[in-house]
Amino acid sequence: MTDAASTDRTGSASTGPRSHMPSIEQRQRLRRWRAVKDWGGKGTIATFGIGVIATLVLMFVYLFSETAPIFGSAEMEAAGRYDAPGADGAATLHTAMERYREVAVRFTDDARAVFFHPATGEVISEEVLNRPEGVNVTDFATGEARSRLAGYGLDDGTAMFLRHDYDISYPGGERTIAPKITYPEGDGEPLDVFAEDGYSLDVIGVQRGRDGTAIIAANNEHEQLRVVLFEEDEDFLTGDVTVERKVYEMPWPEEGVEVTQILMDTTMRNLFVGGADGRLHFYDISNRRNPRLVASERAIEGEDAEVTSLDFLLGAVSIIAGGSDGSVSQWFLAQNDQGLRRLTKIRSFEPHNAPVTSIGPEHARKGFATAAADGSVQLHYATSHRTLARLNLGDDIEVDSVSMAPRQNGMLIVGEDGGFRYLNVRNPHPEISLSALTQKVWYEGRNNPAYVWQSSSATQEFEPKFSMVPLTVGTLKAAFYAMLFAAPLAILAAIYSAYFMAPRMRTVTKPTIEIMEALPTVILGFLAGLWAAPYFENNLPAIFSILLLTPISFIVAAWLWTRVIPEGVTGRVPAGWEGALLIPVVLAVGWFAVTMSPFLEVWFFGGDMRQWLTDQGINYDQRNALVVGMAMGFAVIPTIYSISEDAIFNVPKHLTQGALALGATPWQAMVSVVLLTASPGIFSAVMIGFGRAVGETMIVLMATGNSPVVNFNIFEGMRTLSANIAVEMPEAAVGGTHYRILFLAALVLFLMTFVLNTLAEVVRHRLRKKYSSL
Amino acid sequence: MSDTETRDTATHAVSSNRGRNGGQRQLNIRDEDICVEIDQLKLWYGDDQALKGIDLQIPRNRVTAFIGPSGCGKSTLLRCMNRMNDLIDNCRIEGAIRIDGQDIHDRSVDIPELRRRVGMVFQKPNPFPKSIYENVAYGLRLQGVKKRRILDEVVEKSLRQAALWDEVKDRLSENAFGLSGGQQQRLVIARAVAIEPEVLLLDEPASALDPLATLKIEELIFELKKHYTIAIVTHNMQQAARVSDYTAYLYLGELMEFNDTDTLFTNPSKKATEDYITGRHG
Repeated sequence: MTDAASTDRTGSASTGPRSHMPSIEQRQRLRRWRAVKDWGGKGTIATFGIGVIATLVLMFVYLFSETAPIFGSAEMEAAGRYDAPGADGAATLHTAMERYREVAVRFTDDARAVFFHPATGEVISEEVLNRPEGVNVTDFATGEARSRLAGYGLDDGTAMFLRHDYDISYPGGERTIAPKITYPEGDGEPLDVFAEDGYSLDVIGVQRGRDGTAIIAANNEHEQLRVVLFEEDEDFLTGDVTVERKVYEMPWPEEGVEVTQILMDTTMRNLFVGGADGRLHFYDISNRRNPRLVASERAIEGEDAEVTSLDFLLGAVSIIAGGSDGSVSQWFLAQNDQGLRRLTKIRSFEPHNAPVTSIGPEHARKGFATAAADGSVQLHYATSHRTLARLNLGDDIEVDSVSMAPRQNGMLIVGEDGGFRYLNVRNPHPEISLSALTQKVWYEGRNNPAYVWQSSSATQEFEPKFSMVPLTVGTLKAAFYAMLFAAPLAILAAIYSAYFMAPRMRTVTKPTIEIMEALPTVILGFLAGLWAAPYFENNLPAIFSILLLTPISFIVAAWLWTRVIPEGVTGRVPAGWEGALLIPVVLAVGWFAVTMSPFLEVWFFGGDMRQWLTDQGINYDQRNALVVGMAMGFAVIPTIYSISEDAIFNVPKHLTQGALALGATPWQAMVSVVLLTASPGIFSAVMIGFGRAVGETMIVLMATGNSPVVNFNIFEGMRTLSANIAVEMPEAAVGGTHYRILFLAALVLFLMTFVLNTLAEVVRHRLRKKYSSL
Repeated sequence: MSDTETRDTATHAVSSNRGRNGGQRQLNIRDEDICVEIDQLKLWYGDDQALKGIDLQIPRNRVTAFIGPSGCGKSTLLRCMNRMNDLIDNCRIEGAIRIDGQDIHDRSVDIPELRRRVGMVFQKPNPFPKSIYENVAYGLRLQGVKKRRILDEVVEKSLRQAALWDEVKDRLSENAFGLSGGQQQRLVIARAVAIEPEVLLLDEPASALDPLATLKIEELIFELKKHYTIAIVTHNMQQAARVSDYTAYLYLGELMEFNDTDTLFTNPSKKATEDYITGRHG
């Protein structure tokens, strides 16, 4: 109020006899209105500014919250505890569940199969297997988890071979599961393995594979190892299946070695035998008439070491070996340095403190549970090399058997005391660990650890390979080649048009380049992938000679223009328009290079440069970094050009004049003063261009081939984070590991661009502080 | 108040200096060694004629001031002498400027070399975004001097000549933008004299400065004329009177009057000149 009053006083004092100023009331009203507008403007701007930041933070939080679960560990909660169903003092050899976890089965050592409710232990039905009187069960084995195969070894040299099956029907819309035992071979009568010799069947292995079903058995006393194969042959006309029983003798691993475990893979070409000597013996039985013991590898260290437990993971490629020392390790066949296939130890998991007694593989993933004699149970995952959960039954209860539900959401543990423990398991994302994302991982079927991105495949046994490295490298590779092409062109163009070009020419050139920014990148990608890629492939020498000859021809043209062509001609071109004269030069060089390309190929590259490159050991993909670099280069040139042009153009004229007045040539003034002063702007232009190249999607999607390779070869493609998200997001199951990893990729991308831009801003501010002259 | 006082005494000092020398020189252009000779110089910016046939002789080792109202062409005339007008589009020049007898528009003239010989200081201090040292060494580096010893020597000498050495000797590596306006202008002068020009063109060098800095620049000009031929454009009549030996009065692109400063200010031969210097015009 005092303010208003004083203004008013001075107002009336200083104005002459007739004031044109509005009245005091009007001015006061105006002042209030202006204050409201000021306040409103400030508020609006602040709201939107904070809104932008909040949006960014929310995006980050959302991406993070979608990603975070993949690093969580598994949860297990007890869901039932009861005494062995159908209890009668018999020990439990194996348990299994069907996929809805409504029915479980228990195989006992007196050859009974008891079906029961896993949650309550209530018996549903019981089947007594056809075991001859007075014959004892010596061993029990299962096939690959999904096959639901089981085999009993008997001491009269016979084996019982069976399967637990579940008939699911929906009478009255309600699910009813009827469990039963079926027999893959015969009608349940014991099958002969060593019966003729009267040897006991000490160790048994069963498997169903390509050629039929097989029983593998060993007798330790007589050191006999035998494969009985029920070979199935389907008549392709009638569809009738004939079964032929074939017997193959295998060599004994080594004299004096006691066999404890037998596994055959589903291809029926490889046989693995675990011994009481702590070794794994690998047989190549692709020619079953001439089986070969290839090698024996020490799996368990120490004296009296014994392979106490051995089982396949999903797909029957990886073997998990549990030892008497409590160690747990993963093995599979891989080529060694000499190119020989050997059983190789891939990784060790967190050990138990007591002999491993049971392994329960998951049915749909590469995870497994292990149990030990001290009552400890652990849940592991192979690919990510993680141990996700631990459990101790306490009181050193030896665990007889541990098994996973087919959907890996439940677990049955049977203690030596006969007590059954049923657990709910929540383990949605075991496939990922930080090391699996960022370090080399030894995947199944590969010969050494590698960075691989392969998120899906046609088969169920497939091991998903989620390494962020190929995608990150691919992103940087694409951005690097794009910048290699775009940055020099854009910056030099900016220098020329801001500093040397005639103003009228600049008014045409600058908007033309800037409007390139509006070109949809899908068109650039389309052109690059469908036109440029094949064209480059067929005219490689032309591309390289254009890259090489264009700068040279510019210099030659400049020399001719300034030194050779008479002044009468040069004088006709106004200063600053000389650049336009290079257009015909560029066209001529392009024409020349394309025309000469076939000849160059014939003269220097044996007629085909692509073939020549391949002969030099350089891979050539049609859609490669060269194509992408140029296409994406075109996409980022306008950004870099526009920002750096403004920066150079805005260098105060008095600085340039100062340099010129000191005897600098225009070039010297440009290099030593103009570029220096404009450097913050040029730097941020480059960084923003780089950020754009990193985030660019359509061009890399269409022109890279999307192969996730880890190299910087300019003739090979790449798969970038952004393109990967675009390609795979539609096919990823919502909430699945793959889905969340794509969110992680988005987060990495977001962080990369965020860090790049922040860095650019920080550096730009520091440079500006140093070089600002305004 | 104190500013004005200092200024008064300083002006007094300058005049007394002149007084001391007064005995040996009754300035007369005919006795002078002519450095720059301007012959019928006409200049057009597009269709506008900015200079309409200027004839002028600038004597060596003297300060020649160009005065006149805004837009009279005095800055343009100055900028002709080192061909800075070449940078302006649509600028056309007729007539001749000879420095030491050589026409600067001759084809054989190397423009960067001409600009080295004819240094220029602008109205607004324009140090480069570099250190103080590098600013002064800039011109030398352009000439290909790389030896640190020589650069050190020249930088010190030039800064001393520009009366700036004592103020900046401890912070030569600091950014030149850290200096005050007056210091920046003296730095720019040091930068100009570092490459040993023959002529120094000063385009209103003190108009953006405070009185104290102006005073320093004026003292500096008085020192510099021992070594250089100086042409100065100024709006400040007193400044012209204080620092210059000769004064040219331009009006609308024409040279109205040229004479030694004392004569021009005390006894102008034209009415227009008198009107202007007494403040009745412009």
